Amino acid sequence: MGTFVHFLLLIRSNKRNIMSSNIFILDDDESVCRALKTLLMTYDFVVKTFNSAQNFFDNVAVNDPGCLLLDIHMPRLDGWEVQKRILSSGSSRPIIFISAEKQDNATERALKVGAVGFLQKPVNAQTLVDLINSSVK
Amino acid sequence: MKKKINTLTQKGTKKPLLKKISHINLEGQIHDLKSNLNIIKRQLKQGVNREKIVKEKLQGEVNQGADREKQSANREKIAEEQLHIRTKAMESTFDGIFIIDALKPDFKIIYANPSFYRLTGFSMNEVIGKNYFLLYGDIENTHTYEEIKKILLQGKSFQGEMVRLKKNGEKFWSLLRITLVRDNNGIVTHYVGNKTDTTLMKERNIEIEEQREELLHVTRVGKLAEFVSSLAHEISQPLTAILSYAQAAQRMYKGREPQLQEILQYIINDDQRASEVIRRLRYLLKKTKPTFEQLDINVLINDTITLILPHITTKNKAIKFESGKDMPAFQGDRIQLQQVLLNLISNSLEAMESNKDSQEMMVRTLLENAETIKVEVIDSGCGIPPKNMEKLFSHFFTNKPDGLGMGLSISRSIVEAHGGRLDAKNNPDRGATFYFTLPIQIKEKA
Repeated sequence: MGTFVHFLLLIRSNKRNIMSSNIFILDDDESVCRALKTLLMTYDFVVKTFNSAQNFFDNVAVNDPGCLLLDIHMPRLDGWEVQKRILSSGSSRPIIFISAEKQDNATERALKVGAVGFLQKPVNAQTLVDLINSSVK
Repeated sequence: MKKKINTLTQKGTKKPLLKKISHINLEGQIHDLKSNLNIIKRQLKQGVNREKIVKEKLQGEVNQGADREKQSANREKIAEEQLHIRTKAMESTFDGIFIIDALKPDFKIIYANPSFYRLTGFSMNEVIGKNYFLLYGDIENTHTYEEIKKILLQGKSFQGEMVRLKKNGEKFWSLLRITLVRDNNGIVTHYVGNKTDTTLMKERNIEIEEQREELLHVTRVGKLAEFVSSLAHEISQPLTAILSYAQAAQRMYKGREPQLQEILQYIINDDQRASEVIRRLRYLLKKTKPTFEQLDINVLINDTITLILPHITTKNKAIKFESGKDMPAFQGDRIQLQQVLLNLISNSLEAMESNKDSQEMMVRTLLENAETIKVEVIDSGCGIPPKNMEKLFSHFFTNKPDGLGMGLSISRSIVEAHGGRLDAKNNPDRGATFYFTLPIQIKEKA
């Protein structure tokens, strides 16, 4: 049974554009990074996590393909700033903002600045995966 | 001249003349005339030739020289002028002044100046000759009045502040001071009352008190909201992790281990329940949106210093305000910005508290550039240890034993909501400077 599920997943992931299977998670909370990584790996994504913006910029090239799950509330550079920097670097990386705080008009603001969307923590698995998939269509 | 003296000495003509003189208030003249009359009377009784005496008397006076006459006339003139000025001064002062006859037991008012009538709303007929303590005809203050009487009768002066009603029922705050006037023998002859309308001062004090209360309330609510918000954030993170782990496990064991699946579902449900509680709590304490209005930074700072000044003075410290010239108006939330200023000033005060050498702090406003106002709060306290610099503005960071660690983080979020930035640096000599900027025009956040 497990093999069957795995097989189905493989078919699904094969259908997906190879670029989309890369996920980057940038969140200052290590535990959140690890948990989201575990969850997304069950969907067969290749996941890399980063605890600071600096760490992310140092290790991910502008044109490395992959969707970025970006936490808003971080010390020093917050999520909005990071997104601005990514945009100005000429990258067209799909970005999904996530935050524990329900920010006013966060979804509208996220869409306005060119992100895929905004999700409030705790994030429901299916909602997250649906949004990631929508980003690469 | 001879004729005049004759008429003067005749009974019956004396009074009208004296009356006339007293009417024009020339006390000195009356006195002179009286003593002259007495001398003349005595000499007449002694049977001396009337005409001779008069002649001698007049001659004597003439002989004393024209100078002396001039001098005395001058003195009289000066005395008259002085009296005139004093009377005018009494009549023009803002304070209500009244004089009570102390020789009689019923506290009769014998004089009141125009301000007294204006303050109380009474007319002259209602005041002169009336007992001061029955003037208002109220029973409410009987106790107070008995106290005042007791003090006065003990030969002490009185001072007190009370709410009074004008004749038309209008309330006013009256500062009443009553002092004693004694004659040469030390007998109290008069009470002089001084009534000052302190309503404006009182109202201003009450207003300041109310503003301080309002600010404290807003600060408390703000702190609570911020506290809950930070707490919610801190709890949401592990809840996110738990939910993700549980959902990951569910997927990993999909179709297998039904008991484990059930447990995982319970974990997910409870995680979502906890998240819902936090969401509702956060909604309940939702931060009120700032209400922007046109503000003048120098006025705002002056008002804030007024609020905290008593606190600073009781700690034996001083605050100086160096206001920048021609500071442009800007859009801001008055209460929130006052909160920031109060926070920075009281932090500075605390930093200076342990050090007796550091006495003064300074608030300064300047234009950073044509579009930006800069406010600096400079203290001469202990400064900021470099290791704390980084954490200074984060939630829950504090180096005060009873601090929540919310003040600076709230202040920063307020300043940022105004489109400015709040930061700190150590001064080259000693102490620290906290400064924030405010754009004159708030730019829409991108």
